[in-house]
Amino acid sequence: MAILEEPIKGTVEVKNYIDGEWVESEGEIQDVVNPVNGKVIARVPISTKGEIDSAVEAAKAAFPDWRRTPPVARARCLFRLKELLEENFEELSRVQTQEHGKTIDESRGETRRGIENVEVACGIPTLMQGYNSEDIASGIDEYLIPTPLGVFGIIGPYNFPFMIPLWSAPYAVATGNCVVIKPSSEVPLSQMKIAELVDEAGFPPGAWNLVNGGRTVVNGMLDHPDIEGITFVGSTPTAKDVIYPRCGATGKRVIAQGGASNFMVIMPDCNLRATIPALMTSFFGNAGQRCLAGQNVIVVGDDDHFYKEFINGVVDTAKKIVIGNGLDEEVQMGPVRDTEKKKKILSYIDSGIKEGAKITLDGRRNFKIKGDYPDTCFLGATIMEYVKPEMKIVTEEIFGPTMGIIRVKTLDEAIEICDVNPFHNADAIFTSNGRTAREFKYRVKSGNIGINVGIVAPMAFFPFSGMRDSFFGILHTQGKEAVRFFTESKVVIERWP
Amino acid sequence: MQLNTSASVISFAKQLEVDSAGFYDKMAERYPEAAELFLAFSKENNKYAMMIQRAYYEVITDAIEGCFAFSVETDKYTFERELAKEIGYANALNQAIDVEQKLISFYVDAAEQSKAFMADVPRTFLIIAKKRKAREDKLRVILKET
Repeated sequence: MAILEEPIKGTVEVKNYIDGEWVESEGEIQDVVNPVNGKVIARVPISTKGEIDSAVEAAKAAFPDWRRTPPVARARCLFRLKELLEENFEELSRVQTQEHGKTIDESRGETRRGIENVEVACGIPTLMQGYNSEDIASGIDEYLIPTPLGVFGIIGPYNFPFMIPLWSAPYAVATGNCVVIKPSSEVPLSQMKIAELVDEAGFPPGAWNLVNGGRTVVNGMLDHPDIEGITFVGSTPTAKDVIYPRCGATGKRVIAQGGASNFMVIMPDCNLRATIPALMTSFFGNAGQRCLAGQNVIVVGDDDHFYKEFINGVVDTAKKIVIGNGLDEEVQMGPVRDTEKKKKILSYIDSGIKEGAKITLDGRRNFKIKGDYPDTCFLGATIMEYVKPEMKIVTEEIFGPTMGIIRVKTLDEAIEICDVNPFHNADAIFTSNGRTAREFKYRVKSGNIGINVGIVAPMAFFPFSGMRDSFFGILHTQGKEAVRFFTESKVVIERWP
Repeated sequence: MQLNTSASVISFAKQLEVDSAGFYDKMAERYPEAAELFLAFSKENNKYAMMIQRAYYEVITDAIEGCFAFSVETDKYTFERELAKEIGYANALNQAIDVEQKLISFYVDAAEQSKAFMADVPRTFLIIAKKRKAREDKLRVILKET
């Protein structure tokens, strides 16, 4: 089967999109490298404070008119954007694979989930309706009007370059706000492509802005008095120690989604035939670089026969994972994003070994890459047994294609392990017993809970949840919660004597 | 060859449709008495390829096991795309029936493998399998009359 054609030819000079214009940055330039082959596919600017300021200024200037635009008219812009995203579905997906390394199935899945958020935001005339009470006192009525606030900053991570900014941006603009998006400088092309389509869809200048860069842009957003709120997805240290407190200090609304160390609890009554593919996707999909990825399995019970069958099943399947260029449709796992991330993953595996884990499948070396590519950013699937809950490979986020295996005797012990972990993003149970499943979902303190589902990815019309060190804020991205986040509740009490 | 990813199976399905369309174009050229029917088959194949792509694009998400959804052995479903030079009409019809049977078996197997993961995709596969069964029946009637 042939490798799909690359949409990015040569080297793209990435620009900022401010006030409806593509503008060159005066900041320093960084290379964007395709992790599969090390080729430079783009050059991205690290924009200056002045540039983020002009984007915010443009957004602020566009706000009064955009806010007065009827929600149905704003929705029509989003309908046009949705159509353009569909028309360009394949190209947008391949761009993600080229800039990030993920497989084409994963990229197409990311495109679909991004578009779904635009679809949900198209319902804004209904989603944004307030409510009212007649005669709260004699001749007095009271009602609530959700109103937009102004300018929002959206800061995206590298692992889902297309989808994650779309957890916020469509809702922000649909509700009448204006946005400034900062994609990860490692993967800026997907957001550039979206901004091109936003332009074509006819959004007014300033409603949707894109500023590439790093810390200067983030700090510029955090400190800017005209930014009303920030949505951020990235690491826990940044979410917890930078984004959340700084938004608090400057009076901004905030959604700060951090890292994760998720558990997949395996009951001996689970359907192994269905569970194993779910675990493969959960642990090794996107090369483990997703906050919903499983990091450790907890096998419950002392049935050694089941345990052996389970281990053999996961190891045999993981061994056969086809690793290579994500544009090759047969490939099941691409590279990790860059060498630094690979080093970090390797250091976690080493620390696991030092702390007593035993390598059952070694993805550090001797894995086969399909095609002639350097192993610079590639890793195989690693499976480690004899993992203990206090090890670093459990208490910290690895963000790579590794699976740790913990054995416990009872469901209570498994739930206890889930609960003492600092992260609480997504935990799942695999069982054929409804009572066990209910017990798990009732007791586990996790934002997203899976029952026989390995990647607990909420649809666009549900919030993308998360708790404790995985989430800082109150309302979440996506769906109705995003609409609430991007609007202020204006309450009117009215009497006509 | 074994295919495991959704992307590769969808591409394989589309290729089967393209190849069988090519086969029917040749049938139409060789046997003008039934050209209209064979050209209609060929046209339908393009529609099926589009249906498959649309179903896949609309349901694929990173939340499902897209890269681990299938275990398709392609050798089981490959068919002879060329018409032998001296082949008679009856044998050509038998060859067409064989094409349909291979494709029906592919779609039924692929639907079974993907039903737990892919929502609309197995349904689309089964719709196409049903339409191809009707086509096979039609070919058998023509063969009987030949």
